[in-house]
Amino acid sequence: YSITLIPMLPVVVVHGGAGHIPKDRAEISCVGVKEAARAAYSILRSGGSAMDAVVEAVAMLENNPVYNAGRGSVLNVTGEVEMDALVMDGRTLASGAVSAVRRVANPIRLARLVMEKTSHLCLTAEGASQFARTMGVPEVPEESLITDYARMRWKKNLDPDTNPMECQTGKMGTVGAVAVDLEGNVACATSTGGMTNKMEGRVGDTPCVGCGGYADNHIGAVSSTGHGETIMKVTLSRLILFHMEQGKSPEEASDEALAYMKERVHGLGGVVVVDPKGVWSAHFSSLQMSWAAAQQEQLHYGLYHGEDFTEPV
Amino acid sequence: RPVIVVHGGAWAVPDALAEVSVAGVKAATRAGNVTLMRGGGALDAVEVAVRTMEDDPAFDAGHGAVLNTDGEVELDALIMEGRTLATGAVSSVRNIANPVSLARAVMEKVHSPPPPPPPPLPFPHAPLFCAACLYRLFTCERVKTSSAHLASPRAESVTLPKLHRDRGSCPEGGAMAGCNPTPVGSWAHDTVGAVALDSCGNVASATSTGGIRYKMVGRVGDSPVIGSGGYADNRSGAVSCTGHGESILKVTLARLILSHMDRGKAACEAVERSLRYMGERVQGGGGAVAVAPTGDWTACFTTERMAWAAIHGGILHY
Repeated sequence: YSITLIPMLPVVVVHGGAGHIPKDRAEISCVGVKEAARAAYSILRSGGSAMDAVVEAVAMLENNPVYNAGRGSVLNVTGEVEMDALVMDGRTLASGAVSAVRRVANPIRLARLVMEKTSHLCLTAEGASQFARTMGVPEVPEESLITDYARMRWKKNLDPDTNPMECQTGKMGTVGAVAVDLEGNVACATSTGGMTNKMEGRVGDTPCVGCGGYADNHIGAVSSTGHGETIMKVTLSRLILFHMEQGKSPEEASDEALAYMKERVHGLGGVVVVDPKGVWSAHFSSLQMSWAAAQQEQLHYGLYHGEDFTEPV
Repeated sequence: RPVIVVHGGAWAVPDALAEVSVAGVKAATRAGNVTLMRGGGALDAVEVAVRTMEDDPAFDAGHGAVLNTDGEVELDALIMEGRTLATGAVSSVRNIANPVSLARAVMEKVHSPPPPPPPPLPFPHAPLFCAACLYRLFTCERVKTSSAHLASPRAESVTLPKLHRDRGSCPEGGAMAGCNPTPVGSWAHDTVGAVALDSCGNVASATSTGGIRYKMVGRVGDSPVIGSGGYADNRSGAVSCTGHGESILKVTLARLILSHMDRGKAACEAVERSLRYMGERVQGGGGAVAVAPTGDWTACFTTERMAWAAIHGGILHY
């Protein structure tokens, strides 16, 4: 008999947030990441770049009201949407980010423009909006980004007896993706509306290079989700890649870093990781993380620990 | 034994600023050291050292910060303590005399009820700081801060003539005569920072900046980004970085330096290796100060100059 070797590359892994997703939202959460993984994989298979693939995957999730990114973002304490996003290119280490940006439909695309059209790596708040205007990125009405669900959660958390920190750690997730393309270039993208009822101007891990994500052709790419403040304290994405530099696999590196984050600073989260050879993982220390990966014409996905469902792409 | 190491920015410091820069870092180091000698923690010491430099118009942080393309001052700062990895940062803040103290407030007070809103400022967009333009000072309206408890007492007492708000270029005449904007390649980036190790074995790091001249409005560099502008971990050490912000971010310089120290390298070698990597991989120059839990410390840079000072075992090095 003959054996056909299907190449490991390209690969894309997408996540829809780590945390505790109410059961009635669990299935929709999986549908969205599968769709995004399929779309990104299709780009990669036709020779598209890892950067194109991760940006498309994340933009789809931003447009999907089910996720805490773009439309569907959680609201800050004043009931408004402020979003963060990050992209990073593993070949040149180029990166682009926006933080606390308002009234744009796709922060990830704006982050990419920061990377490609400015000599800076991050623009915040009004500066990010000014830049969007000069780039011809349309301003969208606040209402178009706000869902009933997000507003309901915000109202609930306004009750002085609730503790937003407990009520919502990752209940609705940051989204992200990593990919390695046919040329062996890696990239990452991460986008979020942040924490529900957060203070105005609060910036979490997502737009911080090394925290919300990191990509380096020599090692791999990571996108993180979970409790932002603790992800930052351990610079989670960069930490995972330090472990991989020391020879650990994406899985081992993820588990070790997440365990450290739990032990040292008592935070939970999840990460998607890929290395330049196409070895990937989707691991989390929280209760759930919706994720999907596409490789060798197979789509993998899961939500709870240990799950790895497969179906043809 | 306690150690404190301070830097006043890695860049091609012109001769005219060299003396005040060195004087400034020495003063900041002494101030931080006094805190350590009185039994204060590493966190208090780095905050005091950085506040001293924020108040000193010779440095690009707080007073003396450079202007963005709108002709306004936007400040970034980061502070981190190594025992719990607690950290606080602010980016693109305005009208604050000591961003490092605001960053500390973010670290310590954000989960308790927020402070009452500040009183509205009379001129919302009036720059309320002195900004350095190469060798000359922009002059500003009377400095006020909106958070009275964070105001540096000196800030309140300064009264200066009105600012000439000439966007993107230096005003002519009078105080600005001879002002000569530097070309892009040699933009000043004299962020300030400090690291310390106290007698309890705790380390801390603080970094503060006004960013790069003519930066885009809302540009956030490395200084307020944890792992890039600075990092502190009792298990590894503390680092504060300065230099080309975008390059520092791309290599997460502070965290990179500590990863080498984690693997047993001396502070000096860890910083040199990391700076060399940054130069090769992303063509950026910079500098850093670092201290290890053992008391091993260093101040290293790949730019032309970097004002730095350290006190260890009662001896001032600079």
